[in-house]
Amino acid sequence: MKKIDQKEKAVVIIGSGAGGGTMAFELTKAGIPCVCLEAGPFLKAEDYTNDEWGAFGQMAWLDKRTTSGTWRVSRDFPGLPTWLVKAVGGTTTHWAGATPRFLEYEFKTKSTYGKVAGASLLDWPISLQDMEPYYTKAENAIGSTHRGGRTPLPANNNYKVFANGAKNVGYKFYATGPYGTNAEPYDGRPGSIQDGFNFQGDKNGSKWSTAKREIPRALETGLLDLRTNAHVIKITHDKSGSVDGVLYMDNDNNLQRQEAKVVVVSGNSIESPRLLLLSESSMYPDGLANSSGQVGRNYMRHMTGSVYARFEKPVNFYRGETMAGFCADEVKHDPNRGFVGGYYMETLALGPAFMGAFLEPGGWGREFTNMMDGYKNLAGMWLVGEDMPRSNNRITLSETEKDQYGLPVPNVHFDDHPNDMAMREYAYEKAEALYNSVGAVQTWRTPPYPSTHNLGTNRMSAKAKDGVVNKWGRSHDVKNLFVADGSVMTTGAAANPTLTITALAIRTGEYLASELKKNNI
Amino acid sequence: MNISRRSFLAGAFATTVYMSLWNVDPLKAKINAGSKKEDKKILMKMVRTLYPHDRFPKGPYLRTTEDVINKGNSSPEKAIMLQEGIDKLKADNFNDLNFKKSTEYLENMGRSEFFEHVRGTSTVTLYNDKETWDLLGYEGYSYDQGGYINRGFNDLDWLPEPRIEEHPDLAAFLSESPKRYAEIKKMISKELN
Repeated sequence: MKKIDQKEKAVVIIGSGAGGGTMAFELTKAGIPCVCLEAGPFLKAEDYTNDEWGAFGQMAWLDKRTTSGTWRVSRDFPGLPTWLVKAVGGTTTHWAGATPRFLEYEFKTKSTYGKVAGASLLDWPISLQDMEPYYTKAENAIGSTHRGGRTPLPANNNYKVFANGAKNVGYKFYATGPYGTNAEPYDGRPGSIQDGFNFQGDKNGSKWSTAKREIPRALETGLLDLRTNAHVIKITHDKSGSVDGVLYMDNDNNLQRQEAKVVVVSGNSIESPRLLLLSESSMYPDGLANSSGQVGRNYMRHMTGSVYARFEKPVNFYRGETMAGFCADEVKHDPNRGFVGGYYMETLALGPAFMGAFLEPGGWGREFTNMMDGYKNLAGMWLVGEDMPRSNNRITLSETEKDQYGLPVPNVHFDDHPNDMAMREYAYEKAEALYNSVGAVQTWRTPPYPSTHNLGTNRMSAKAKDGVVNKWGRSHDVKNLFVADGSVMTTGAAANPTLTITALAIRTGEYLASELKKNNI
Repeated sequence: MNISRRSFLAGAFATTVYMSLWNVDPLKAKINAGSKKEDKKILMKMVRTLYPHDRFPKGPYLRTTEDVINKGNSSPEKAIMLQEGIDKLKADNFNDLNFKKSTEYLENMGRSEFFEHVRGTSTVTLYNDKETWDLLGYEGYSYDQGGYINRGFNDLDWLPEPRIEEHPDLAAFLSESPKRYAEIKKMISKELN
């Protein structure tokens, strides 16, 4: 592996997930040496385990966090607002694999939905047309099924229930993808053996992650200096205001400094704004890149919910790919339903361990155990839709709580918007109708899990006063500072975000490589 | 590592997950509360009333109860809380109540620290128990056995085989403007009326 001197002014990438891992590959592929600082270890296939709680303890980001707001997550999981991964590959280690693109108008929700009270909608500075070539590149990197001539995954048991129900209630747009796990060997990764456990890292390696593809390939170029267990705590700047280095804690809790000519922040929507806020200075008293005051604001986590249904006959829904069932019929914006935006329905299965903890947090009693007792006969789906950005849904630095390094922990504040609640209620009813149409004997409305989709806290905007980064993911304020992760999303759309994060990172990576080659940075 | 694990959760979920996930160091925890035989028995009845599975044998409930006791002794404060809770159950003759009455009793208990400790630990430990997995028909680790590709991932036969490919109209549906989409929906509903 390449060793870059800590005194050398390097391109420094913070994080190695969908954003950072992709940036590392794009830049090294273009011949640009990079340092990638990853807070977690490099877990590999042999480390992953087919054990829900075991994997959770192994890879989840468990640093202290606090929550506030009306969302139920704050009550059910007050110290665990998100379910992200601290390891090489970031949350691509944990992601299930659904890869829908944004729809054209989902880049222009302010123009399309009109005024929504209590929401800070904003049109993106880029369009679907701008993104299309990058979506194609990202789908080819990920190996999305049903795209680029790639084979669909076969129907597993959970999908059979889902698809038959969808058909019965009149839906048309259901399929087993698009999905980021190979049905057949592709790009050096084998086809799925239907072993489940996508959330636990995928031992078989059929699932795309940046730990599987981008980081190893970036290392193969000989230009990547990957430092694991390196937790960045501050970005520093020079007298002119340009960033010039990062401070991080290494594996032995020693403070290290890496000089930088460019810094790319890819720490996900909680840690990225937190790091910018922690990087305050006399020149930037409100935090780095925050002249707009928008750093940390407009935190989105998608409208989510799940419906599980119990049947008379066995389903064995845990067998096979976790989320290889997809239905798009409810995604189109149609205000007649009583809310703006739309949502997808996606199959989902949990093992008994997670089902016991998440089916109904705090739940107990005979109705609860009836569901658990019928575990073999359960089918399940996740509902995921666009949520409204709100200026006060935001990441702030705690005034009281400190992390393992003595730094303020992030507080995650989220108030459900009435639009989110109306959509969730509607989606629950539709999901129940779907399962009832195939003979469900009991259905259960499961509330949101700790957030896996974390978006929007360094939003991309045309005007500097409206956001944190421009259309290239480059800070409006600090020209050699970039952000490449879900935090740049201006609005969240209904789509699972990983494909879009990856596509945006490819685009930002190509732009940064070209700017570096032109000596514009 | 221990510090971050221990402090990442607060409130109800702390008892649910942290306490159940990472075993308390037995060298540091003096097992005092719930050490009597009748204590264990009454707690086990509480666990069983919270999570009743008529077909489950004693094993999973016993291990869950032991975990509730063990983790309830992780600090002196917790041990006091646990013993007080057990003593209250005994004073109220909880053991003599039938299932309906004991459920009502627990409903009336409210979300006390004791209740949340027992319930939160139980929901994680009981459903993470390998015998429970067998009883529920869950097969657990799958990679070592070649996944389910040849072991029934698609063996459901009580519904027709569904289509797996996308509908040919999907791309048109997704690219249609919302305005046009609303118009079409309106026309269809008029037609149906």
